Amino acid sequence: MTIASVFIVDDDPAVRDSLTLMIAQEAIPVQTYASAEDFLAGVSADSFGCVIIDIRMPAMDGLQLQEALTKRNILLPIIFLSGHGDIPMSVRAIKAGAVDFLTKPVTRIKLLAAVRAAITECERVLSAQASLQLARSLISHLTEREHDVMTLAVQGYPNKEIARSLGISHRTVEIHKSKIMHKTGAINLLDLARIAHEGELVKSS
Amino acid sequence: MTDLLKSLSFQTLFDAATDAMLLIDTSAHIAAANPVAKKLLASDAAAMVGLKISTLMPLRYQETYLSEFAQFVDKPQLQTMGSELIALSHDSKELLISIKLSPVKIKQQLYILATFNLADRRNQVTEALRASEERLRLAKQAAGLGVFDFDSNHNMKHWDERMRELWGAESDNLVSDNRFVTAIHPEDRAARLAALNSAIDPQGNGEYHAEYRVINPIDGIERWVATVGRMHFENGHATRLVGVARDITEQKNMEKKLQDQRTESETLFTQQVAAQTVSAIAHELNQPLAAISAYSEVALHELHSDHIDPDNLKHALEGCVAQAQRAGSSLHELLAFLQKGQLETESMDFLHIIKEALNITKSYGYHGFNPILQLEQNLPPIVGNRIQIVKVLVNLLRNAMEAMHTAGTSPPTITIIVKTYKDKNMAHAIVQDNGLGIDNETARRIFEPFFTTKGSGIGMGLAISRALIEANGGQLWLELSAKPKAVFHFTLPFAA
Repeated sequence: MTIASVFIVDDDPAVRDSLTLMIAQEAIPVQTYASAEDFLAGVSADSFGCVIIDIRMPAMDGLQLQEALTKRNILLPIIFLSGHGDIPMSVRAIKAGAVDFLTKPVTRIKLLAAVRAAITECERVLSAQASLQLARSLISHLTEREHDVMTLAVQGYPNKEIARSLGISHRTVEIHKSKIMHKTGAINLLDLARIAHEGELVKSS
Repeated sequence: MTDLLKSLSFQTLFDAATDAMLLIDTSAHIAAANPVAKKLLASDAAAMVGLKISTLMPLRYQETYLSEFAQFVDKPQLQTMGSELIALSHDSKELLISIKLSPVKIKQQLYILATFNLADRRNQVTEALRASEERLRLAKQAAGLGVFDFDSNHNMKHWDERMRELWGAESDNLVSDNRFVTAIHPEDRAARLAALNSAIDPQGNGEYHAEYRVINPIDGIERWVATVGRMHFENGHATRLVGVARDITEQKNMEKKLQDQRTESETLFTQQVAAQTVSAIAHELNQPLAAISAYSEVALHELHSDHIDPDNLKHALEGCVAQAQRAGSSLHELLAFLQKGQLETESMDFLHIIKEALNITKSYGYHGFNPILQLEQNLPPIVGNRIQIVKVLVNLLRNAMEAMHTAGTSPPTITIIVKTYKDKNMAHAIVQDNGLGIDNETARRIFEPFFTTKGSGIGMGLAISRALIEANGGQLWLELSAKPKAVFHFTLPFAA
């Protein structure tokens, strides 16, 4: 996994510069952008870390940028920066999924705490995505019959029940199960249930 | 004599008669009309013959008159149909007439000779007066008017029911000036007296206008009354004041309500302007403050660390200084806008100013536009406050960029032309974009403080820009004929 970066999008050069210094002191890489358009041109789906966005910018503003990122399925957590008196905007921003909303001038403690929380959130989102993809690829190697057996097994049905439900012999169920364990690399039934959950094989109740 | 009469035809008599005569057949159609009748009753003399007689009767009497006529046809003998009948004249006026009917046999055919007599003059006048009074009464009622008539000593000679209603007087008794005035609100008495005195003045036009409050002694309700009248003079002395009074309480209440609403909206506007001014100042100061705060914490953190990075420390402190300066100059600009203070001026090259403004504009995140510079050769240096002039250019460039962004103009192009102004002592700069331009309504208001077409922004940019250019001895305007582009012009004096 690459190192987390902080992206700063603010039209004020002094704000960009001072925040860059502050975050760089924590040995976190920083990239700055003077407009929403510039950031959209530079950001990619596998960018990792978080983005600090000034809510009021000429041309495309912070909320519009948030919308554009969501549309492009870029999941970078967003920390908004605003002047005073932007309460209605902050409500909209948080509702649209922003992780934090800070007022200028922002203290070092608040900013860094927000950045760390956002990076943790980004890791969580990415790792959840990675697990999903891994589990899905494991499940995708199963035959149709093995898929059926696994679906029933992880829901706690005993072999006898599975055999009757699918109209196959008890012995055949056992063979399928052993193949499933082998193909998914699951060490026991509990582990298999985890893979099924992460791969969204069964809806969690 | 008999011979004479024999030789006299019906036609001759009919035409010579001084009364209006109609020859009517039994089916109530006019068979002939004599000249007097034609003159009195017909708008088109030729068209009278063949008309039904009902066309000469007011609608409301047609039934009665026609049935009387029918009775006469049944039993024809000379008779007076009536002495106070109404007929319609050629111009549709109602005439009070008496009509006599006599049967005439012509060629074995029964005809009725109707002779019209205008009723006597006195009746006509009485009728006219009655109608006039009726009209006046209806008009008074509709307008809610009361009529008054004062004598020369201000004593009431006559006042009608409506007046008594307003004044809360029970009977139709005459009232003294004193009693009349008692009901008038004390604060309004002087103004009424002044109006009265002006009407009494024989040199004046005798017109009387006064509005005052009347407190009804019976129900205690205060009403606004407007009075209008005319003074009559005899031998140069005012003798009589006749006029009308009208209850205008509702109108006054409405006026007061409107005035209150105006005051309220003015207060709101003032508050809004104040709030927007504060918000403008807050924004201008908050940006550098945010940077200073961050730079300071960077410096502090650096000092607390084991390995101080002198470059970082220097960078942060320089940032603090620059941003504190920026805050200060923003404040000065705003103050200069609010009250014209002393300006620090210097002599400078226009090209340098433009380049500085372009750099600042780019640092704000506006780039990818195409500046085209057209500067006159050997242009003398201009004089003014550098920061302010740069600020104006940046404002114009930012506006142009935002307008072109909104319009989706591609590629965005800004042309800056600088030349000598016509009176030779000024530089004339023109900034034009290739966006959609500015509509008339916007153009009219574009320099007003707090006027904005942008979703964000406080609408102070052009108001401040104009004030700044004026403070530097120049002018800033929008070219109105430049549609569809937006073209701004400003002038600045050359250094002497």
